[in-house]
Amino acid sequence: MSFLSKKSVLEEFEKAKASKTKEWRDNLPTWCPGCGHFTGLHGLYEAAETLKIPPKDFVVVSGIGCSGRFPFFIKGFGLHGLHGRAIPIATGIKVASPDLTVVVVGGDGDGVGIGGGHFPHAARSNFNLTYILLDNSIYGLTKGQISPTSPMGMKSGTSPYGNIARPINPTTLALAYGATFVARTFSRERDMVSELITKAIQHKGFSFIHDLSPCVVFNKDVTYNSLNSVTATLPDDHDVFDRSRAMALAESTDPIYQGLFFREEIPSFDDHVQKVKDGLNQPA
Amino acid sequence: MKYSEIKIRFCGIAGDGIVASGKILAGACANIGLHVMVNNIYSAEIRGLGKSSATIRFSTSKLYSMGDGLDLLVGMVSKESIIDLRDVKVGGNVIYDISTVGDVAEEDSLVSHITPEIQGHGLPLKKLANEATGTNQGKNLVAIGAISYFYSLPPDMFIDQIKSVFAHKGEHIIDVNINAFRLGYEYFREHYPLNNQFEIDKSSEPRALTSGNDAIAKGAIDCGLKFFAGYPITPATKIMEIAAKELPKLGGWTLQMEDEIAAIGAVLGAWFAGKRAMTATSGPGLSLMSEMINLSVMSEIPTIIVNVQRGGPSTGLPTKVEQGDLNIALYGGAGDSPRVVMAPSNSEECYSGIQLAFDIAEKYQTPVIFLSDLFLGQRIETVTIKENIARNRCTRKKPTSEQLEDFLRYQITDDGVSPMIVPGEPGAVYSTTGLEHSVTGNPNYESDVHSMMTAKRFRKFESMVADLPHANILGDETAEIGIAGWGSTIGSILEGMDIAKKKGVKTKLIKSIMIHPQREDLFREFFASCKKIIVPEMNYQGQYAALLKSRYGIKPIEVHIPAVEPVSPLKIAQKIMETNSELSK
Ligand SMILES: Cc1ncc(C[n+]2csc(CCOP(=O)(O)OP(=O)(O)O)c2C)c(N)n1
Ligand code: SF4
Ligand SMILES: [Mg+2]
Repeated sequence: MSFLSKKSVLEEFEKAKASKTKEWRDNLPTWCPGCGHFTGLHGLYEAAETLKIPPKDFVVVSGIGCSGRFPFFIKGFGLHGLHGRAIPIATGIKVASPDLTVVVVGGDGDGVGIGGGHFPHAARSNFNLTYILLDNSIYGLTKGQISPTSPMGMKSGTSPYGNIARPINPTTLALAYGATFVARTFSRERDMVSELITKAIQHKGFSFIHDLSPCVVFNKDVTYNSLNSVTATLPDDHDVFDRSRAMALAESTDPIYQGLFFREEIPSFDDHVQKVKDGLNQPA
Repeated sequence: MKYSEIKIRFCGIAGDGIVASGKILAGACANIGLHVMVNNIYSAEIRGLGKSSATIRFSTSKLYSMGDGLDLLVGMVSKESIIDLRDVKVGGNVIYDISTVGDVAEEDSLVSHITPEIQGHGLPLKKLANEATGTNQGKNLVAIGAISYFYSLPPDMFIDQIKSVFAHKGEHIIDVNINAFRLGYEYFREHYPLNNQFEIDKSSEPRALTSGNDAIAKGAIDCGLKFFAGYPITPATKIMEIAAKELPKLGGWTLQMEDEIAAIGAVLGAWFAGKRAMTATSGPGLSLMSEMINLSVMSEIPTIIVNVQRGGPSTGLPTKVEQGDLNIALYGGAGDSPRVVMAPSNSEECYSGIQLAFDIAEKYQTPVIFLSDLFLGQRIETVTIKENIARNRCTRKKPTSEQLEDFLRYQITDDGVSPMIVPGEPGAVYSTTGLEHSVTGNPNYESDVHSMMTAKRFRKFESMVADLPHANILGDETAEIGIAGWGSTIGSILEGMDIAKKKGVKTKLIKSIMIHPQREDLFREFFASCKKIIVPEMNYQGQYAALLKSRYGIKPIEVHIPAVEPVSPLKIAQKIMETNSELSK
């Protein structure tokens, strides 16, 4: 696992981009140099390459935020929708056209703030979607206000006296909501991001990636350095089928674990639908 | 007395079989080719509480509304029926339960409130029901038996109907119910040898019954609906229930979402993926959908929203009718945000109109808001539906192979419509957005681009006009009084016009299922030919009148009818008469 500096994240991205320009690049990313979101995008490129997903069958749906720009940077279909509403739109696409590979991308504000009401239902329905939440504990696009994952006490334009509420932990939420694939990654660990996004897309059912993806411009509290000192990979002996152990490890704030917390193989939404339809087509 | 039209109300509480009474009476009348309209009213939303009523109007000629006074009130319960006496016509009749008269205090007794201008007829409802069924059930059939005799409606038409309504409950239930019917019939024959005669045309064909909600669901399914997403809300839920049951059989699916934002979001997603999709809601849900309607406008992804209006604002009057959502349908949302607004006026238009809505949405890549209302959605009426006339008439504009090479999703075209491809099909890919964008779909905030794209989105509405159904002009073309109406109010207007005509006052009506855009040429011509224009509608503000005033520069007489109940044709007639006397001054 390679630890990358802020500068080399960007360099690595440029390299990856150059090698895959033809296939995967559409527009050039518009993010600030060093933004964690580059790693997530790179991971998605890698996954699409590895899994050989044809662009015509690849749909990326996003919310609004810096993280929401993904659809413009990929070679595939994209829908840059509304703030917080990527999940239901993706759901409609997937249920209408189950053969497509549908990936949802959004920020922490988008996914557990304004759109927090959609996440549980997509997870518990086990729609065959991959949801990548790029968590920088800040509202990046609107230039730096506290988000639902900002630490207590954090000061920002809209919290000049410090954030009073406790932060939400999206990984534990996903576990509680019944997501069948739950992983946490850190954008400094490029290979792990790519590997887990690939696995998430392969997973049959609702897969969730909580990507710690620092905002290098507006967040002075949650940074590469602050995360570097507390992140650790999951213990080698962690059993990914053990939900309560996964929950305990996901709750830990020191260290903040990365890796695949939980995976479960149960029928996906598509399987259930197929069963109903097969039943209806049986001669009476 | 000879009758060619009758209006009957059953009034009772839960367990009295009120809805079943309406069903049997309506079904029997429709079967022998009569025109029928039924309106059920529940005073509480929770079943098991409070009173409910079923009003059935049937006639040998076409019905457009629920009309006015009752010919007959059947009070299955005493106290709760008293208030309905005020709806009985002068010379009308009341059936009350003579076997329970002594059970309540005089002030709570229906019979003691019957005034001299109406006729009371005692019928031992409870006693005869007991005799027939051995339970307290069956009062409704006793009453229907009495009605059959009272208006000389052939008993066979009811017996057939009882058999079919109770078919799933087995022989015994059918027998006891037929028995209850007979006892009611016999009792009236012995006690009230009257001479009423309802004129039936023996040659008539049976008619189909439907509610507006059923007709919308069926219309949508018949023109290719493959995906429905919704969130339960009175009075629109029925549409979702039908979709949930039927779509899986046809290769589609229905999702109950977590809220209305998610519902319309999923519908947008399905259209993006190339499937015909729809949601149905009422005021509170439509309010939540405004941002997605904006996204549909901007990204030019088609959407269909059925809004079955109830009383508002806020949670408002969930079980009462109003036409208060026109403004939010027309204008709700940010920015310059054009959308199609349609309003059917009866169940037939619910069926054919929703198919037109799909065609418009598909062809012009636009949101369509289809405004029904609680009265239209829930009332049951006889219809002649021409099935499948519009099935998949329009498909999406697809790029030519040349266009596909360098695909421009938002290509500027004469009619404003750009080619749209579907994920999964080979050829090209694109990204769409709710941000302003250039022809490729990439975000772009330049003022020229914004002007050009806004104009393109509005241009689609100009192109659309050629495809729109004509506005209908009904009534007397030479009339000086013109009426403009929309939605279910049209039915009451037509009957109000008829009443006025019988008093010698001629009128004409302009009606269009299209609220926006409209065949403006036809409306202008119509208004120019009127000396006075009346615009009645079921809201306080006069929302349709406001639209017509700003669009056509007219100064109409506005009739703002407080909602809650369907509009009375008599009220419309009164307004016509008033307007007529002003004209002749
Ligand atoms: C309904 C609505 N409210 C507010 C906004 C403004 N807005 C855009 S992005 C954003 C927050 C973005 O934060 P996050 O989702 O964490 O994404 P990031 O930019 O940090 O990647 C807000 C509040 C909006 N676009 N829509
Ligand atoms: S503002 Fe922050 S989140 Fe947005 S692009 Fe820049 S670094 Fe990334
Ligand atoms: Mg953020």
